[in-house]
Amino acid sequence: MKLTIRRGGGLAGMVAQTELDDRSLPKTDAEAFAGEVARANLHEQPEPAAARPWPDAQLYEILLEAAGPPISVHYTDETLPESVRLLVAWVDGRPERVESIEQ
Amino acid sequence: MSRNHRRAQCGIAPPDLLGRLAVEGDAQQREAAVRALATSAAIRSQRAVMGRLNRQLNLNLGQMIGFTVNPDRRLTIYDNQTNGRTFLPGVRVRDWGQPPVQDEAVNQAYDGSSATYEFYRDVFARNSLDGAGLELVSSVHYGIAFDNAFWDGAQMVYGDGSGRIFQVGGLTRSLDVIAHELTHGITELTAGLVYSKQSGALNESFSDVFGSLVKQYSLKQSAADADWLIGEGILVPGLGKALRSMINPGTAYPGDRQPGHMDDYVDLPDNNDPRNDNGGVHINSGIPNHAFALAANALGGFAWEKVGKIWYTVLTTRLRPNSQFDEAAQATVDVAGTLFSATEQDAVHNAWKEVGVLS
Repeated sequence: MKLTIRRGGGLAGMVAQTELDDRSLPKTDAEAFAGEVARANLHEQPEPAAARPWPDAQLYEILLEAAGPPISVHYTDETLPESVRLLVAWVDGRPERVESIEQ
Repeated sequence: MSRNHRRAQCGIAPPDLLGRLAVEGDAQQREAAVRALATSAAIRSQRAVMGRLNRQLNLNLGQMIGFTVNPDRRLTIYDNQTNGRTFLPGVRVRDWGQPPVQDEAVNQAYDGSSATYEFYRDVFARNSLDGAGLELVSSVHYGIAFDNAFWDGAQMVYGDGSGRIFQVGGLTRSLDVIAHELTHGITELTAGLVYSKQSGALNESFSDVFGSLVKQYSLKQSAADADWLIGEGILVPGLGKALRSMINPGTAYPGDRQPGHMDDYVDLPDNNDPRNDNGGVHINSGIPNHAFALAANALGGFAWEKVGKIWYTVLTTRLRPNSQFDEAAQATVDVAGTLFSATEQDAVHNAWKEVGVLS
């Protein structure tokens, strides 16, 4: 299972990507990762539409690649569901994550 | 799989209806409508509606968003305590007139907001964002190691920075960043520039212009002495010197895609993809940014006195939500002739010619 978080816009206008692959994690942490992903419930989180984003709000694309077809959802700082925000924070706190700035 | 669903509107009266009731209803209706507007999550996300209500119905933004307009409280700083959106604004930690506290981010947000308020008051005789003394509300320590600062339609929000993109503590350290965010509030309440493609790039550019001018004003710098950088020194070392360069767009950091001329305009879709930046609003803002810096340098002296006044007049009286580069450019030329002389008008016209917007 791999989760990719792409963040763009924001004050900087830069595009940053953070990836976490469960194969890089110890077994118990991989299970915790799966639990965080399940709690985020990406399958069921609607993407709010129509409202204009806050100026300088970040745009998020969250891509989950696991069993079955990949899931890609889009949010902003305004619309990011709390459960997904917690997943993002969890991934950001893992030393195994791989980060890059897209040029 | 990518899905789109309309946001449910269950149980929420249309904001336009609430706005009319808030203005035209009887006392009971007014109170109920203002309370509904103030507490509605939906209205906080619908800035176009808020701006239109403010402009057309003269409905006070302070009432709409629940922050009291109090001449004795120019600004207030809150601590989000590393919570997220649902905890905004957070815990009040410093009121207007209170001495500094231990938390440096609080003091920086306080000082930066105060300096921005004083700039708009002293240079343009504008009393806060709405021209009517709206309390400036800021929340610091938003989220966890959050790499961003933004205007949410009602207040400023600052993360701590993660140390991966922004330096830890960098976002409140930069006066031009604070003024940039506050200027988004003015834009929302005046021109209402839609945050997409060219109108969005103009929205961004006005925030950069006045962000830079607030910094220049605080340092009493002439146009020639200004660095014309936005967010100088807030990125982590190695990522770049600043977020944007107004005088040399595209040179602020390796990979900076900002153009300085219409020939290099980056035409991106506005499709929620993080790579496309709402249709390039932080990218193509380099073109109007460049025009401003060129005009300011051509005229010399303090940039806020002439070119700044022209841009301020255009933002607050001439533009509309869907204004494009050419309309904004022509408006600045017209206003330059109205406020000043042919010298200033020529300098502004030449600047827009140099960036390829006017011929």
